Amino acid sequence: MTRGGHVMADADCRGTWMRKFLIILQWALASACVLTMVSLPISLETQLVASMSVLVAMMILKLVRPDGIWRLVALAFGTAIVMRYVYWRTTSTLPPINQLENFIPGILLYLAELYSVMMLALSLFVVALPLPSRPSRANLNDRLPTVDVFIPTYNEDPELLANTMAAARGMDYPPDRFTVWLLDDGGTLQKRNSERMVDANNAERRNEQLQKLAADLGVNYLTRDRNEHAKAGNLNNGLSQSSGELIAVFDADHAPARDFLKETVGYFDEDPRLFLVQTPHFFLNPDPVERNLRTFEQMPSENEMFYGIIQRGLDKWNASFFCGSAAVLRRSALVETNGFSGVSITEDCETAIELHARGWHSVYVDKPLIAGLQPATFASFIGQRSRWAQGMMQILRFRFPPLKRGLSIPQRLCYMSSTLFWLFPFPRAIFLVAPLFYLFFDLQIFTASGGEFMAYTLSYMIVNLMMQNYLYGAFRWPWISELYEYVQTVHLLPAVISVILNPRKPTFKVTAKDESISTSRLSEIGKPFFVIFGVLLIGVAMTAYKVYAEPYKADVTLVVGGWNLLNLIMAGCALGVVSERGERAATRRVKVSRRCDFEINGKWHKGTIENVSAFGARVTVLGPELEDLARDAKAGIRFKMFADGTEAVLPVTIRNFERTADGIAVGCLYQPSEAVHHRLVADLIFANSKQWEQFQLSRRGNPGLLRGTAWFLRMAIYQTYRGLVYFWRDLSGRKPTAPLGQLAEKRP
Amino acid sequence: MRSALLLLLLLSASPTAAQTPFDMSGERPAASPAPQSMTSPSVPSATPPAATPPVSAAPLGATPPATSNSAPVEPEVQQAATEPSKRYLVPFTELVLAGEYAQRSWSVFLTPEQAASASEIHLGYQNAIVVAPEASRMTVSINGTTIFDEPIAAADNAADIVTAVPPRVLHAGLNDIVISAVQRHRTDCSIQSTYELWTQIDLARTFLVFDAPDASHWKRVEDLRAVGVDESGATTFNLIVPSMAQTVSTSPTIRLGEALALMANMPNQAFEVSEDDLPEAGPGVAKVVLGPAADVAKVLSAVPQGAEAGPVATVVDDPKLGPSTLVISGPNWQAVDMAIDDIARQVDRPAGSLRTSLGTRNWRTPDVPMLLGAGSFKFSDLGVNTLEFSGRRVRTDFAVGVPSDFYAGAYGQAKILLDAAYSQEVLPGSHIDIYVNDNIAATVPITTVGGEILRHLPIKVTMRHFRPGDNTVAIEAVLLTQADTVCAPGAPSSGGQRFAVFDTSEFVMPDFARVARTPDLAAISGTGFPYGRVDYALPLIMDRAQSETVSAGVTLLARMSVAAGRLIAVDASTAASAVADRNAIFLSALSQVPPTVLAQVGVSGNSSSGWGEAVASIKPNTETTFDEWRQKLSGSGWRGQISSFEDWMTRTFNISMDSFRIFPGRPAEYTPQGSASLLVAQETSPSAGGTWTLVTAPSASALREGVRTLTQQRMWRQLGGHLTTVDSGDDKVVTLPVTHFSFVETQPFSLSNYRLIVANWLSANALSYAVVLTVLSILLGLATAGLLGSLGRHR
Repeated sequence: MTRGGHVMADADCRGTWMRKFLIILQWALASACVLTMVSLPISLETQLVASMSVLVAMMILKLVRPDGIWRLVALAFGTAIVMRYVYWRTTSTLPPINQLENFIPGILLYLAELYSVMMLALSLFVVALPLPSRPSRANLNDRLPTVDVFIPTYNEDPELLANTMAAARGMDYPPDRFTVWLLDDGGTLQKRNSERMVDANNAERRNEQLQKLAADLGVNYLTRDRNEHAKAGNLNNGLSQSSGELIAVFDADHAPARDFLKETVGYFDEDPRLFLVQTPHFFLNPDPVERNLRTFEQMPSENEMFYGIIQRGLDKWNASFFCGSAAVLRRSALVETNGFSGVSITEDCETAIELHARGWHSVYVDKPLIAGLQPATFASFIGQRSRWAQGMMQILRFRFPPLKRGLSIPQRLCYMSSTLFWLFPFPRAIFLVAPLFYLFFDLQIFTASGGEFMAYTLSYMIVNLMMQNYLYGAFRWPWISELYEYVQTVHLLPAVISVILNPRKPTFKVTAKDESISTSRLSEIGKPFFVIFGVLLIGVAMTAYKVYAEPYKADVTLVVGGWNLLNLIMAGCALGVVSERGERAATRRVKVSRRCDFEINGKWHKGTIENVSAFGARVTVLGPELEDLARDAKAGIRFKMFADGTEAVLPVTIRNFERTADGIAVGCLYQPSEAVHHRLVADLIFANSKQWEQFQLSRRGNPGLLRGTAWFLRMAIYQTYRGLVYFWRDLSGRKPTAPLGQLAEKRP
Repeated sequence: MRSALLLLLLLSASPTAAQTPFDMSGERPAASPAPQSMTSPSVPSATPPAATPPVSAAPLGATPPATSNSAPVEPEVQQAATEPSKRYLVPFTELVLAGEYAQRSWSVFLTPEQAASASEIHLGYQNAIVVAPEASRMTVSINGTTIFDEPIAAADNAADIVTAVPPRVLHAGLNDIVISAVQRHRTDCSIQSTYELWTQIDLARTFLVFDAPDASHWKRVEDLRAVGVDESGATTFNLIVPSMAQTVSTSPTIRLGEALALMANMPNQAFEVSEDDLPEAGPGVAKVVLGPAADVAKVLSAVPQGAEAGPVATVVDDPKLGPSTLVISGPNWQAVDMAIDDIARQVDRPAGSLRTSLGTRNWRTPDVPMLLGAGSFKFSDLGVNTLEFSGRRVRTDFAVGVPSDFYAGAYGQAKILLDAAYSQEVLPGSHIDIYVNDNIAATVPITTVGGEILRHLPIKVTMRHFRPGDNTVAIEAVLLTQADTVCAPGAPSSGGQRFAVFDTSEFVMPDFARVARTPDLAAISGTGFPYGRVDYALPLIMDRAQSETVSAGVTLLARMSVAAGRLIAVDASTAASAVADRNAIFLSALSQVPPTVLAQVGVSGNSSSGWGEAVASIKPNTETTFDEWRQKLSGSGWRGQISSFEDWMTRTFNISMDSFRIFPGRPAEYTPQGSASLLVAQETSPSAGGTWTLVTAPSASALREGVRTLTQQRMWRQLGGHLTTVDSGDDKVVTLPVTHFSFVETQPFSLSNYRLIVANWLSANALSYAVVLTVLSILLGLATAGLLGSLGRHR
């Protein structure tokens, strides 16, 4: 570049800075105007008229143009109402300080609300304009850097690992340019020399078994002497033993699609300061909430909001962070921080903060490229969430993102949003209890009249829901966030309090994901939900009594009672969450359509594989008669692999069969015994990431606030009933002979 | 002349040991001839001479230097002594003590002679038949001494209570009188029944009688403050201006009227201006002669000494006009003006000084404190004492003043930090209500069973009903108990105290927006705004030839001066065409009002024919009848439920269609009609530089009557809106609300004041707020879009 070019670039640069400054000024001015307007001490009637107008405007915008600039305008509307609420709440609803019995709970409730508003503000910032999905890089890679693929494991089944390893090995990338490492922490020397004989034995056996499996699948097995620093230590051990330019990390149960590396490694050459390419976690099985409420097929998963919107929002601010798996990292970046950080039990996010603070960049690719499993039981789900919450608290304590040097201001806000989110058990608990203060003890912790509640609180709540709908629309249906937060709160609250008190105490616990529930039962940690439900129910009775007995304050009683009723509906729905359905299929079936040959009694028939899961497949077979088939009979499926075009036979056993219009539908269970079988299974399930995307899209729809609320209400009522039925069965000690879940679950 | 002036000054200033109700302490320039005013800041002691510096002690009483006044009085004193002098006590047009507990307090000004005299108090009253005599008592106290405490037992016939006032209870200057009644129902214990309890005080039979022969005689100009009231609660000044036909006399007459009004400061004052003596005489009537010596000689049997030489203001007992006649004279009009100025100086308030209280002691003690911004008062400072109560419904009140540029009616909320207690007897469902100017402003339900002590319980009080000037805030507790539900016969008054309000409670006024509006007649009523502030002689356009019109003018300007707390300089010689763009008052019969003025204030001049004739309204009003039926049927069935929800909405949010106007239009021209006898209308002057107020009536006599009715305390405070009509016959005041106004800045620019002004305006125009908020939100949305477009990653 010539000298002249430099000058021009400088002028250009100054020009853009000037423009940027003006734009910021303009925004600050607009904000100041809105703020001034919002902080006027206007009368109640004006507030009512204004909030109604804004609500109507938001609804019209929703119907006409819910995207682009109009989405931001609608959010600005919402923000104005929320700010008016905060202004009013601060200036005229706090109980007087000389009534301590009212003041203390009153202030707690106020702080809880302020927290919610702050989190809303942070999420507004994060997801105001999520980055659109990047175009695929799959065919642009001119250079193929060397990649080490790490699969850390602790106690997962070899079978599960085999699928993951097979899928990893099957990735579409030159075999000599990537190495797959099984990082086994379950077979370390420390474990093998355990004082407890059984443990030592198990570890020894695992060590041998995995070594063999790894060798069969062409994977490097690696273990270490001591289980120090848990997962981070394990990964660091892998780092020290390998030399690839890039590191891909997959959890033991996260099997990559064939195009994983193709879609991700390209970014590293585009940006030399890039340390991370993160991809979403896509789950084949429902989490316990989805499973027990049976929403998995129709409603977007809980984590889809995070991977579908929030990570894209974070990506806009260069703050997309490492989620422990399904990501590619640059070795040279990790070397700077001596590998993965292990101060907290969420090493992933912690590592990302460190590297962001050092000026490294991250990229998020919004395309499911791995498929994994999530905890099946409510207890292990809570265990997983406890780890996340505690880890984030540790990060907040030890790294304090808002003041972390090196982070840009947007990054600080983003990390604040991600970490502070996990304080939600406190406000949730307060919201749950607050109405009871009034209903049971007559405490006035929120001094407002029925009319003020209507003009301020109600409009705030509606606006809040509408804003959520604007922000997350198709990714999160109304009330679902509240439900998830509530079901976690009960057990997360003590966990969060404990980590706040003893920030160094929590240890890394691996979440179990391969459990299955054969019979319907109450979750072992579900009892508190019934107690809470009972108390809230008494609160409702109390409301009715108060309205009848104290008609002179019926307006306030009705408002508070309505709030309590809302809590009760939520608690009722949660009863369904902790009532675990017994289930036949352990994992979700992915729809595929692949030609195959099906072997029965040594005879080959033409067939089509209709759908597959991690454990079995369903095949429509042409030709044979029903008499040829038998339960538990051995059979085989032969098909062509996507990976290399070779054919092989996957041994199965027949579980069930029935005649359909096209032939005979056969449900079968894999019986893999050799490495090649795992490759076949992996190829069936994981080879094609398109099918996962399609599945996600199929349940991504925005029901809207009204329809969503009605749907939630219907579900809550049914789940309350189901929960109570389970509870009664549990009390009477009868084993459920025909669990509701199983009966309902009978589908092909 | 010099010595005469000095004498006059000493005379006029002597008994000011009593603090004047205008709060002039320290405001007078050092050169002013009233060193005595510094003496006693509190209620005057019983012995005023002791409190007065020796210099001025000389002219007091009957000591030789004062004989110039007292000498000619002698024969009159004998005459008057045949009839004991009465001092009517009640400064109201009506005094009814209603409910289970009622109290009124005010002050009565007494001359030293009256205070020194032996006296007895008469009180005539009648009460409702349902008042139980054994449980009901009436108490009167003067200066803190209980004069009597008698059962209320005059259900059948009016009764008189006559008691001697103990010696040394009365003192010269202001004497505080408190009358209170506790009443219980004979048979009923319901809340409703408390509304049936009343005791009416007979004004004509309630007075002090003084034994001393000179008690009814005034000796000093200052004694005019003891003018008192007549048996209907009114005070009349007969201004005898022999040369009233001369143009030069009008302004001094008005100025004197204002000064006298401020001095006497009675609630219902009227001025009758005439060339010659008027027959009226007796308590509550003051005779004042005004004019140069040559003129006053026509009506007086003897011109006061020195009037030929210099300004004179003195009280004489004139054989022709009667005793205690105030003469203001001098060799010429300039000297008369000086004599008026000397009186005026005592009661005037410098233009720049802030008003800290409104002088109301003559009808309500204590003086009403003025709130010019954020501030708070303890109940004890507002005259509310700790009150314990054993009945069902108790009401106590206090008053606070707000300035004429108070502009927080739409959004503002004052706060009462209530210290109160209720016993365990009191059931939930009881409530404490706050009334502002008799409009409900807040309700606090009592919800706790088993009694409670409320400590500084904050009660938000909407300021919607606050008006410029004094505002009454009442606290009413409605108490339900089990005992009352049972209502055991014979035990209606049993039981201990149920409720207490403590005088440590506070009234807290937040910062409020301050900007005046035109038109706003309530501002005139409250503080004489804007005329109380003008720094030029206010053009007063009236027909000077008619004594009725002049009387009306003096009465009105005097009333406005009292409201303003200072004299309003008036120029009565300006022609209507010369007013230009200044403030002005137009006072004439409708036929004489210039059409341009009528058009400016929005009054139609052409249908004046039928105005003023009382027409009985026999035509049924369909709308009212319909409303009555709706009222009758409301609350029944589901339709009733809906309409009660509607009522709740209206009550809670005060939403009216007015809230939805964005650009209010000018109101239609008002056509005066019907039996209203007086019309007051206000509007900005043509170029919006001043405020024009038109006071008109069908005829000059109707004008005088109308102004007289309007200036009565009870009526005066109802003056408001853009236009007010007064029906002297029915004592009915009708106001037309302000629909279109312009702001008049009264405060130096400050951001916080502007913010509050905007808040109030937007609160009154709800839709405007919604529109502004919407527009700003859209701008913010667009700005955010721009911001997000330039910050962060884009792809």
